[in-house]
Amino acid sequence: MATIQQPSRTTPPGPLPQRRGRLRRIRQDWWIYLFLLPTILGYGAYTVYPLVASWWYAFLDWPGFAATGTFVGIENFERLLEDDLFWNAFWNSIVFLVVAVPLRVGLALALALVLNRAKTPFKGFFRTLFFLPVVTTGAIIGIVFTLLLDAGGPVSLAMVKSGLLDSPANFVADPDTSLYAGIAVWVWKWLGITMIYWLAALQTIPRDVHEAAMIDGAGGWREFRHVTLPLLVPFLVIITLIDTVAALNVFDLMQTLTGGGPSFSSEVIEIFIFRTAFQATVPELGYASAAAVLFGLLTMAIAVVQALGFRWARRQMGGAR
Amino acid sequence: MGQHHRILGTRHGAARVGRDISRRRFIGGSSAGVLAAVLASCTGGGQSSEENAAAGGESSGPGGPLQWWDQFRPLTEMFERDLFGPYMEEHPDVTIERRQMDAPDLGQALQVGRRSSQLPDVHSVAGLGSSPAALVSEGWFQPIGSHADFEGSPVADQIFDGIHRFDGEIYSFAPFSGRRHEAAPWLNTELLAEADVDPEQSPATWDDFRAAARRVQDGTGDGVHGVLIPTQDPIYLDALVHRLATAAGAPGPGAIDWATGDYIHDSQPYLDAVEFLVSLQADGVVHPASASMGPRDARARWAAGEAAIYPWGPWFIGGLLVEEPEAVERGVGVWHVPTPETTRNFVYSSPAPGVFWVSSESDQPELAADLLLQMTTREFQAKLAAAMDQPPALLDVVAEADVHPTYAQNVSFFEEDVRIGPVPEVATPGVWRVLAEMRDIHPNLGEIVQAVLTGSTDDVAGDLRRYKDELSAERERALEVVQGEGVEVDLDAWVFSNWDPATDYDQQAYAER
Repeated sequence: MATIQQPSRTTPPGPLPQRRGRLRRIRQDWWIYLFLLPTILGYGAYTVYPLVASWWYAFLDWPGFAATGTFVGIENFERLLEDDLFWNAFWNSIVFLVVAVPLRVGLALALALVLNRAKTPFKGFFRTLFFLPVVTTGAIIGIVFTLLLDAGGPVSLAMVKSGLLDSPANFVADPDTSLYAGIAVWVWKWLGITMIYWLAALQTIPRDVHEAAMIDGAGGWREFRHVTLPLLVPFLVIITLIDTVAALNVFDLMQTLTGGGPSFSSEVIEIFIFRTAFQATVPELGYASAAAVLFGLLTMAIAVVQALGFRWARRQMGGAR
Repeated sequence: MGQHHRILGTRHGAARVGRDISRRRFIGGSSAGVLAAVLASCTGGGQSSEENAAAGGESSGPGGPLQWWDQFRPLTEMFERDLFGPYMEEHPDVTIERRQMDAPDLGQALQVGRRSSQLPDVHSVAGLGSSPAALVSEGWFQPIGSHADFEGSPVADQIFDGIHRFDGEIYSFAPFSGRRHEAAPWLNTELLAEADVDPEQSPATWDDFRAAARRVQDGTGDGVHGVLIPTQDPIYLDALVHRLATAAGAPGPGAIDWATGDYIHDSQPYLDAVEFLVSLQADGVVHPASASMGPRDARARWAAGEAAIYPWGPWFIGGLLVEEPEAVERGVGVWHVPTPETTRNFVYSSPAPGVFWVSSESDQPELAADLLLQMTTREFQAKLAAAMDQPPALLDVVAEADVHPTYAQNVSFFEEDVRIGPVPEVATPGVWRVLAEMRDIHPNLGEIVQAVLTGSTDDVAGDLRRYKDELSAERERALEVVQGEGVEVDLDAWVFSNWDPATDYDQQAYAER
C-alpha cells in the first residue's frame, strides 16, 4: 500500500533527512526496484561489465587460449599507434561513417518526403517495400549481395550490357570498390528505418504551416528549404546520431560481404578487432580490447571537436547577424 | 494531501486480496514469488552440482554425458553410426553428445568455453590457430596414454614428441594421415569430356595445366569457366601456394630452408607459384567471381557446373556427398598436383597432428581415452576412409574400404607425391615457446597472394621479401624473449641438415639429426 506523505515545511533541508526520505521511499516502493532488477542486472552484465572489462583487458598481454593475461601497462596502445592495419581499419570506419551516414539520412529524407505527400500513390506498399530489408538479417544480406555484386552477378552484367562497364567487375572483391559496395548495401538495408523516423518527424509539422507557406506563394523547394527543413532540424540531429551509432556496428554485414578484404581494403575496425581477438595464430585479447578502447576514444575526440566546431560556427553566425 | 491509502481499481475492494493487502503490495509480493521461482528453476531447484551429476550419472556415466565438439561435417553420420552408437551399445551407462561446428565457430566456442570452464570432454582444436604444444602448456588438456594403450595401437609409429607426446605423456594421436595436401585439382569429368580433355591424364607441367584449363573454358558452354581459385580466403591461398611452391622445388613444410633454418618465402619456387596463379588469371580461365568466394562457396559453384577444375583437399568428395551429392554422381575426377616441369618434385607435409584432445576439465578421461582408442583400429580406420574426409592414418585400409574410386586414386597420388618433412618443435621442444611468442605478420603469404590476384599490388617479389624479413625479425625477437625466460632454444632448431628431399623425415631421422 503506497503512502504519499507531504514533506514537512518546517524541517530544514539537509542530507540526513533527504537520505532517510529516500530510504523510506525505497522501502515503500521496493517492488518497483524489484521489477527494475532484471534490466539493471542485464544492463550491468551485458553493457557495463564488458565496457569496464575491455578497459582492463586493454592493459593485458592476453593470448586467447590462456586463462589470464599479464599486465603490460600501455604497451598495447603503443603497438597500436604503430600498427598500419589498425589505422587502415580506423580510416575505413571513418570513411564508412562520413559517406554512409549522410547518404542514408539524405536518401531516407527524400524518400520520406515523397511518401509523405498526399498525392503519392501506393504509399503503404512502398513504405513496406523499403522497410523489408530492415527486418532481414545483415549476414544473410551480406551473403546474397556477394552473389549479386560479383563479376558474374546481375549488377555487373547489367552494367556491361548497358555500356557502363567494359568488362564484368567484382565490386565486393575489388580493393577500389569493396568498401563502397559495403556502404551501398548498408545504406540500402537500413534506409527503411531512417525513412520511418523521417515520416514520423514530418507528421509533427502542422498542416497549416504548409498552407500558410503556400498562401505566401512559396514553391515546393522554397517551402522545404525555409519551412519544413528548419522544423526538422531537431529531428535531423537525433536521426544523424542514431545512424552514426549504427554505422559503427557493421560487423555482420561487412564480414559476410567482403570479410574485410581484399587486402584489408574494406576492413573496418570491428573486423580488425575480431581478427585480432579470434583469428590470429595467437589470439590477442588485450591488443584487440586496446583497439576497441582506442577507437572509442578517437571517435569521441572527433565528436567533441565536431561539436566544438558546430558551436563555434553557430556563434560566428550569431555574431554576424 | 495527507496520508492516505491509495487503492487502484474502480470496484470497491476489487484490488484487495485480503485484509490490509493493496494491489500494489499484492503485485510486489507475487513478483517476488515469481522471481524466486525463476531463480530456483535456474539453479535447478537448489540442488548442488554434485547432485545434478549424480542424477545424470544414472543414465549417462559418472560425469554426465561425454561432450564432444569437432568440425568434421562429413564425419557426422559415420561418428554416430560407427563410433558413438556401437560404443554406447556396448556401454549402456555411457551417453555421448556431439556438436559439430565450422572451424572458426569452434575456435571461438572453445575460447569462450575455456574462460567459463565449460569445455567439452573431447574436442578438436580447429579454429584456435594455436600450436597444440602451446595449449598443452597452458593446461588445456590432460594426458590419455595412461588410460588407454595408444603405444600398442596400430598408429603408434605416428605418435611424435612435440606433436602428440609431451614430457613423455601421450596427449593425442593422429587418426588421419599427414600424407596429404590441399592442392589436388578436382575435376568435373562431364565438362572435361565435353571439352575433350582426359581426366585420367594429369597435365605434366604448369603450361599443360593452363592449356587444359583453356580447352575447358573454350570447349564448354557459356558461363562455364576453367578453374576456381577462391581468393576471398587468405588461408586457402596460403596453403595452395605453399603446396605449389614445394611442387616447384621448395623445401618444406613451412617455407624453411632446412640447410640454414632461414625462411624462404621470397625464393624462386614461391615466386613461380604465385606467377602460375597470376598466369591462370591472365589466361582468363579463372571463374570471374573467384575473388569473392571462400572454399565452400567455390565447391558449391563447382558442383553447380560453373567451373571444371578446383584445387582443394582430400575431403572434397566427402564434403560433396554431404552437401551436393548429385555432383559426385555426375562425375568427379582428380589429377596429380601440377608441377612446373616434367621432373616431379615432392610436396611436403608435417606428420599428422593430434586431432582430438581430452580437456583438462573433463572428469571422465578414462572413458574419453577408451573411446579415442577405438579410432585407431583397422576396422574403424576403414570406416573413416569410407567417409572420404581426410585420409585415415592407416593409408593401406583405403584399398579395402568402401570409397569412391576417385578418392582412392587421390590417396594413391598422395603416396606418390607427398613426403613427410621435418618439424622443428619435434626435435626441439622449446620451439613451440618461440612459436607461441611470435606475433602474426601482416600481410602474410595468403594476404599477399590475395593482393596480387585482386590487383592491389604487382610487386610480388618485394612484398614476399618484406614478409620474409619481418617474419625472420619476429622470430629473432621471440627467440630472445624465450631465451630470456631460460628456455634452451636457438636458430639451429630450424636446421635439419640430414633432411633428404626424397624420403620421409621419420623418428630415426630425428634421432640421427
